[in-house]
Amino acid sequence: MKTVFAYAKPYKIPIIFALFLMLLELTVELMQPLVIAKIIDDGILEGDQDRIVQYGIVLMALSFIALVSGIVNSYYAAHVSQSFSFDLRKAVYGKIQSFSLATFNKFPASGLITRLTSDVTLVQQILFMGLRIMLRAPLLVVGSMIMALVVNAKLAIYLVLVFPFLLAFLYFMVLKGVRYFSFVQQRLDRLNRMIQENLQAVRLIKAYLRGKYEANRFSEVADSLKIDTVKAFRIMETILPILLFGMNLSLLAVLWFGASHIQANGAQIGELVAIVNYAMRMTGAFSMFSFIIMAFARSKASSERIEEILLAENVLEKDGQGKQAAVENGSVVFENVSFSYPGTSAQVLKDISFEIKPNEKLAIMGATGSGKSSLLQLIPRFYDATEGSVRIHGIDVQEWSLPALRKSIGIVPQQSLLFTGTISDNLSWGKDKAVQDELEDAAMKAQIHDTVEHFPKAYGTRVGQKGVNLSGGQKQRLSIARALVREPSILILDDSTSALDVKTEAALWEELDRERATMLVVTQKIRTAMKADRILLLEEGEVSAYGTHNELLEASALYRQIALSQQEEEVDEYV
Amino acid sequence: MFDAIRRPFGYEPVIRKEDLKKKDAKKTERANNWKSTLLRIWKLVDEHRLLLIAVLSLVFVSSALALLGPFLIGHIIDQYIVPESFDRMGIIIAWLVVVYIGHSVSLYLQNYWMVGIAQQVIYRMRTGLFEHLQRLPVSFFDKRQHGELMSRMTNDIENVSSTLNSSFIQVFSSLLTLTGTAVVMLWLSPLLTVLTLIIIPLMYVSMQWITKRTGRLYKEQQHAIGELNGMIEETISGQKIVKAFSQEPRVMEEFLEKSERLRQTGFWAWTYSGFIPKVMNFLNNGSFAIVAGVGGILALNGSVSIGVIVIFTEYARQFTRPLNDLANQFNTVLSAIAGAERVFAIMEETEEKDDQAVNAEKELQGYVEFDKVSFKYEGAEEDWTIRDVSFHVGIGQTAALVGATGAGKTTIMQLLARFYDANEGEIRLDGTPIGSMPRETLRKQIAFVLQDPFLFEASVYDNIRYGRLDATEEEVREAAEKANAHEFIEKLPDGYETILKGDGSMISQGQKQLLSIARALIADPVILLLDEATSSIDTVTELKIQEALERLMVGRTSFVIAHRLNTVRKADVVFVMEMGQLVESGTQQQLLEQGGIYANMLADAKL
Repeated sequence: MKTVFAYAKPYKIPIIFALFLMLLELTVELMQPLVIAKIIDDGILEGDQDRIVQYGIVLMALSFIALVSGIVNSYYAAHVSQSFSFDLRKAVYGKIQSFSLATFNKFPASGLITRLTSDVTLVQQILFMGLRIMLRAPLLVVGSMIMALVVNAKLAIYLVLVFPFLLAFLYFMVLKGVRYFSFVQQRLDRLNRMIQENLQAVRLIKAYLRGKYEANRFSEVADSLKIDTVKAFRIMETILPILLFGMNLSLLAVLWFGASHIQANGAQIGELVAIVNYAMRMTGAFSMFSFIIMAFARSKASSERIEEILLAENVLEKDGQGKQAAVENGSVVFENVSFSYPGTSAQVLKDISFEIKPNEKLAIMGATGSGKSSLLQLIPRFYDATEGSVRIHGIDVQEWSLPALRKSIGIVPQQSLLFTGTISDNLSWGKDKAVQDELEDAAMKAQIHDTVEHFPKAYGTRVGQKGVNLSGGQKQRLSIARALVREPSILILDDSTSALDVKTEAALWEELDRERATMLVVTQKIRTAMKADRILLLEEGEVSAYGTHNELLEASALYRQIALSQQEEEVDEYV
Repeated sequence: MFDAIRRPFGYEPVIRKEDLKKKDAKKTERANNWKSTLLRIWKLVDEHRLLLIAVLSLVFVSSALALLGPFLIGHIIDQYIVPESFDRMGIIIAWLVVVYIGHSVSLYLQNYWMVGIAQQVIYRMRTGLFEHLQRLPVSFFDKRQHGELMSRMTNDIENVSSTLNSSFIQVFSSLLTLTGTAVVMLWLSPLLTVLTLIIIPLMYVSMQWITKRTGRLYKEQQHAIGELNGMIEETISGQKIVKAFSQEPRVMEEFLEKSERLRQTGFWAWTYSGFIPKVMNFLNNGSFAIVAGVGGILALNGSVSIGVIVIFTEYARQFTRPLNDLANQFNTVLSAIAGAERVFAIMEETEEKDDQAVNAEKELQGYVEFDKVSFKYEGAEEDWTIRDVSFHVGIGQTAALVGATGAGKTTIMQLLARFYDANEGEIRLDGTPIGSMPRETLRKQIAFVLQDPFLFEASVYDNIRYGRLDATEEEVREAAEKANAHEFIEKLPDGYETILKGDGSMISQGQKQLLSIARALIADPVILLLDEATSSIDTVTELKIQEALERLMVGRTSFVIAHRLNTVRKADVVFVMEMGQLVESGTQQQLLEQGGIYANMLADAKL
């Protein structure tokens, strides 16, 4: 929790202010029973009306002080907690942005999102509550006890005696409760996952007539959720009645022994009334305890999750010596490159060497898991090679300035992903200050311009969440256009034309071939590979064959096999 | 330092005065028909109704005992302590012990039972809704977003759950305590009561002032949260692209902008809502002061006793708390009822109905006829998705469907499985219209292999067994072997017992395909509906899939949305679809010789 709450440090002064105001409010309230005692003992029993009026006004004034400090406290608490969460969120998000992919991939994306959203909010709420009420309940109990002792120690001792027992009981129950509620949360998560699964697989379930089966599975999960929920709540529900009973008994003890003290003339009625009043206040405060401790336990878990990110060691994503090539000629050289993912020992790439001259096209083929995508990731330096060197435009990638290196590369990933915003916004990711003409030019090359023009708002059409629905092919073409806007000297296409029909794909390739760029193309299709200057065939992370189509046909049995299986389909592929 | 102290007062207001004057059309979420909604919940309580009544009686008891406690203490002060005659005080104290025991026990029991009842009701709502969802037609799911349905199943129901758990008792006991306190106070001292109650209008006015602002502010805040979270979700899932295009500064800037907006709205929302307990406290303290001051003066002339003052100060505190609770609970309860209403609304959606129970026992052979079938999706204004399609496929034959995306290939299959019913024309199986056959009978004979196979978060074994639940372990293995899946399954950490992740991240797309073929094999259907995968699968796996599919298709009437020439060539008949119409049909050879649309498609592809 330390690291997270360190982000509250810049707000030390407003925090102190807020706590001071809270304390003031509390003190003022704790004065009330004391004043009541005065009204009874000095006013009513003495028959002094002026005193009563005076003390009445004092009570009123105290209430005003409490109100004003409470209101001002709201401003401070809101300011501190909002600013704190702003800073914290910024730090976490910034940290994530600075992650190398190696670090990034250690966390599941959904986990990162929850940390930035609900976890931060939870911690923020705890801070807000902390500045306003969380300390209030314990302080109220302690304060009431002290005040009661001040008023009359002999009477108040009966309140103090019962206190440790109640506290121990509370602690024990809360520990138990926290455990049970985490079970409940797990069950609830399982239930929600099941619902999601069912919504996604509606057709499958219907096709296999598994409606009843699913409903039975669901009711089992729902039933265990019910049982655990009931158990957890029933445990928590014992707390209040027992605490109340304990406090009430000690109240009776105060009355019983108070009576004998008064008899012995050791105590005054007003004092007794004041202590009774304090006891009742403590009882009220107790009902908040379990709530507070539960909230605390939850925020502890959240802040620990956030800290995992803030304290994560970031392996890479450091600039090299900041070198930049004078001429970005587009050459790509792999020299004895081996690679294994950070934290694993299995080599995904073994001793890979090849060279692509400027403006050449390399096709990369191989089975799933043969290392195609891993190889591509080394070029924009998403990861560093474990052995050997990767040279881009003649310079080792480790020496490059990262932004400059990536600026010269256009990447079209396997899964095309667009972001919320207009089509123009998305395309201009490729180049920050691209003018409309450049965007349209790229869109034309990517065979998507005509489609975009037909949208009601053309390039101003919103895509992504809350935007229009694009088909897979449209998304792919937009993400190709986005890469083309960069006018990259190296273009990487990771099997990114799969959703295009043959006609469009052909037109696209025609345009791409005219681009002045070195191309690395991952493909499964011999037809595409044939047109490349060279083909790199990977098998389990090693170069199985490297050369032109004809060379490979002669030299590689695997390539021949693939070619044969697709030969007939070559004329096909029309859908 | 001075700046730090002044800063909280330097926020720009988010809402303006003009905004507040405008009446908000829908202030809070309200149920349209809360009476019938409550009635339905009451019905769900079912056999626990008596218990619920017992709970309510216990709330009555505990509220009464909670009032009796301070009252008896006041009585002790007046009767024994002030006159200093303690003779029979022990009896009253003993009574108080009984009262306190009764209070604690009734408090515990009412909650104990209520939790049980509430969770049982929730369980019924959950499973009822889920079962109902299973019986709804596919078109229902088309119309809605997953997120929205998820929210019905989770948020709305949990809302009802927590309301039933706590708010229900709280509201009831608050009402009882309020009336009880007021009555006892009036009986003890009407004058002091009136003075205590002065705070109610004050409270009303100040709460109006605050909630008018917080209502809007919370809406603004919710909006800001939504925007920010949406952005976070998107950029985190697309982190690789952010990096590839070096757009970190750009997303950071956008993030800070959205985050700042949230800070601004959040500040005001939290500040104003922070006023509420403080104002309540003030009114509390104020009435305390009035009772003590005025009570003291009245005590001088003997019209009230010290004990009454003690009772009043405690009651005054007890009085504002339920008021506060009621104010808080009011919106919670209303939105929970609205949530329950939305849940019930789904449960009222019409189920997929099988009108006739005839042909239930029909054993199908697999002769499929489409007779002038036309179809358009519900609510779709555009043209027909399927227009006047007629064809027939013989028993055990394979039909390949070809055509561009959107030509209607998938719809043909969905009509055949009766996910939708045709608007015009008739689909017949072995001469019987499928509309006259229970869906169950029909679907029992049909298996699907979809392009994007879905796997459940369950073991490999269970995922395959999904095709036929009573399949033995032996049969599952056999099917896996036939589907060329056995080899890779054995390599998984726990073999057939490996639990697959919901997102299917453990196995490749091609392997998923193999599993779904095994699933279809084990179902042993008469009719097979198959959507061939496009690319992205490596050649070796592809060959395995082809082989497995061929085994699967033997002896079954198969419809294949084809992407491979091999498949088309082996088909007994090829249907060429264009814009919802069947434009050509015949064997591949015939179509090529015809030189029509299909031949052109091939020629185009040759390039």
